[in-house]
Amino acid sequence: MDMVLEADRLGKRYGSTWALRDCSLHLPAGRIAALVGPNGAGKSTLLHLAVGLLKPTEGTVRVFGRSPYGDTDGLADIGFVAQDTPLYRDFTASELVIAGGKLNKRWDAGLARKRLAQLGIPPDKPVGKLSGGQRAQVALALALAKQPRLLLLDEPVASLDPLARREFLQSLMGSVAESGTTVLLSSHLLADLERVCDYLIVLNASQVQLTGAVDDLVAEHRQLVGPRHDGGVIGGVTAVIRASHTDRQTTLLVRTDGPVTDPAWTIREVSLEDVVLAYLADGTTQTSHSEWGVAA
Amino acid sequence: MIWLTWRQHRKQAFFTVLALAALAAMLVPIGLSMRHTFSDLGLADCARQLADTNVTAATREACDAGFRRFGNQYSSLNLVAVLLVSLPVLVGLFWGAPLVAREVEHGTHRFVWTQGVGRTRWALVKFGLVGAAVLVLAAVYGLGMSWWVDPLTQAAYEGRLGMIVFDLQGIAPIGYTLFAVALGIFAGTMWKRMLPAMGITLAGFIGVRAAVEILARPHYQPARTQTFPIEGEGPPEVSRGDWILTQGVRNPDGTMIAEDTRIQCPPGGKAPDGRVCGAELGLEPGAYNWQLYQPADRFWLFQGIETGIFVALALLLLYLAVRRVRRIA
Repeated sequence: MDMVLEADRLGKRYGSTWALRDCSLHLPAGRIAALVGPNGAGKSTLLHLAVGLLKPTEGTVRVFGRSPYGDTDGLADIGFVAQDTPLYRDFTASELVIAGGKLNKRWDAGLARKRLAQLGIPPDKPVGKLSGGQRAQVALALALAKQPRLLLLDEPVASLDPLARREFLQSLMGSVAESGTTVLLSSHLLADLERVCDYLIVLNASQVQLTGAVDDLVAEHRQLVGPRHDGGVIGGVTAVIRASHTDRQTTLLVRTDGPVTDPAWTIREVSLEDVVLAYLADGTTQTSHSEWGVAA
Repeated sequence: MIWLTWRQHRKQAFFTVLALAALAAMLVPIGLSMRHTFSDLGLADCARQLADTNVTAATREACDAGFRRFGNQYSSLNLVAVLLVSLPVLVGLFWGAPLVAREVEHGTHRFVWTQGVGRTRWALVKFGLVGAAVLVLAAVYGLGMSWWVDPLTQAAYEGRLGMIVFDLQGIAPIGYTLFAVALGIFAGTMWKRMLPAMGITLAGFIGVRAAVEILARPHYQPARTQTFPIEGEGPPEVSRGDWILTQGVRNPDGTMIAEDTRIQCPPGGKAPDGRVCGAELGLEPGAYNWQLYQPADRFWLFQGIETGIFVALALLLLYLAVRRVRRIA
């Protein structure tokens, strides 16, 4: 399969804190991938590394087989919309389209204008005076005018109201469906992206917790409910992601590689959200207990 | 890139030109009237005649009187000159410091550096264009100031090499302005917020300028010494426009008796009580006035060295700023 984005043991350290560490992942071409994780998990760092704004501290990241840091030619293939959709606020949307044309060799100004016209964005108003949703649309239109093969969006809908969120994602899906552009968009809420993505990367505490196609992930995970369990091997289960116990009963969220045949367990299918929450709940709190000097 | 730079800074450029025009509208009439008075008093001839060491005492007195009159009328403008010295740092604060810091503060660096133009090229074009505009600005300012301050410097005993007036004219303002802007840009890449960057620029500019002015400039060339007797006809033959670094009165064995002063007595002059001139200070017979100075004709050499130092510092800072830009995310 063609890989658009490959990271191998990628790490980025600021001072003594690792924003991202030991991150290995592959993003196949043509996917709409969601990068999910709580705030501070390293999502922006990963995107900045992918677009070449940051230099890796360790490991490698490759986009279309090239290392993006300092690679100006490679930038032409990557569309990037940073968090809070920064644009020159005193520029009008129309001037921003001109600016994009001056800054890029490949630039479809007509496409940008058409999009902005369809969305009803006023061309002669400074973008600083547009609503957050309109500004996000302008930023998206500029990113798409580059005709990128990979589109990276950092929290594109975080600051939008629910209606604008839906419109933004709809217009995004509409335009990448035709071009076959690979999209990686981050959010701290899976719910925002669940309907549009077909690939998932879960980041937590600067590490990749889970990565894979949404269908596979849902198919591989099961919830098992049964009598209290002491942690022994269960046939067909490769990993227990989360376990909760009562006096007599144990509930497990597990990753499977085949059918669970033990009749003691009741098997339930899980939603994508259950899977993500199980992975996010795992492994976040150990360090802070020791830092605060209290028992876990 | 050029279009983008112009679009981003046109408003700023407009206001800068406006401010410069307002300043010119204020200073040109003053300068004209100053020059008018200067020539009415015949001081242009005086300046030429006084440069000649064989000038007669009568001419010297007449000219000194003229310079005094001119000084009485216009010396308060020296205060204005002090204010004008601060113009380069203003350019550094408002053009240099925000150049990178503003982009980072508004997050727009993530927009512009991820387009098809690499950020090194972005930095080079932007720094280059702003630098060129500032160069023109500084040249206009330096030439204008040279013209404006010329009568004041000729009237002042110390001449063009003196503090403040040296900094106002010639090519030195170009060096200062480029340095201020480069310092602002560099501070912006280090602190990445406009206000801290501006603060650092202000402090850094004042610090470096003061250090160079006080510590380095007197030593650009070995200073000359001059001695002359304390008894003699008329004022000592010190040429106008020399920059006197230190002076004092020394005994024949070389010990300094009185610093920062000079003594002039008529030949064979005695105090009313019959003591020899200067005896109350402990002067022995044969004591002489002594001074360490930089001669007036070194003005352009000193201008060149001063400008060279600041241009070199500016280039170093710009180089560091370009390197820093590659590491900002």
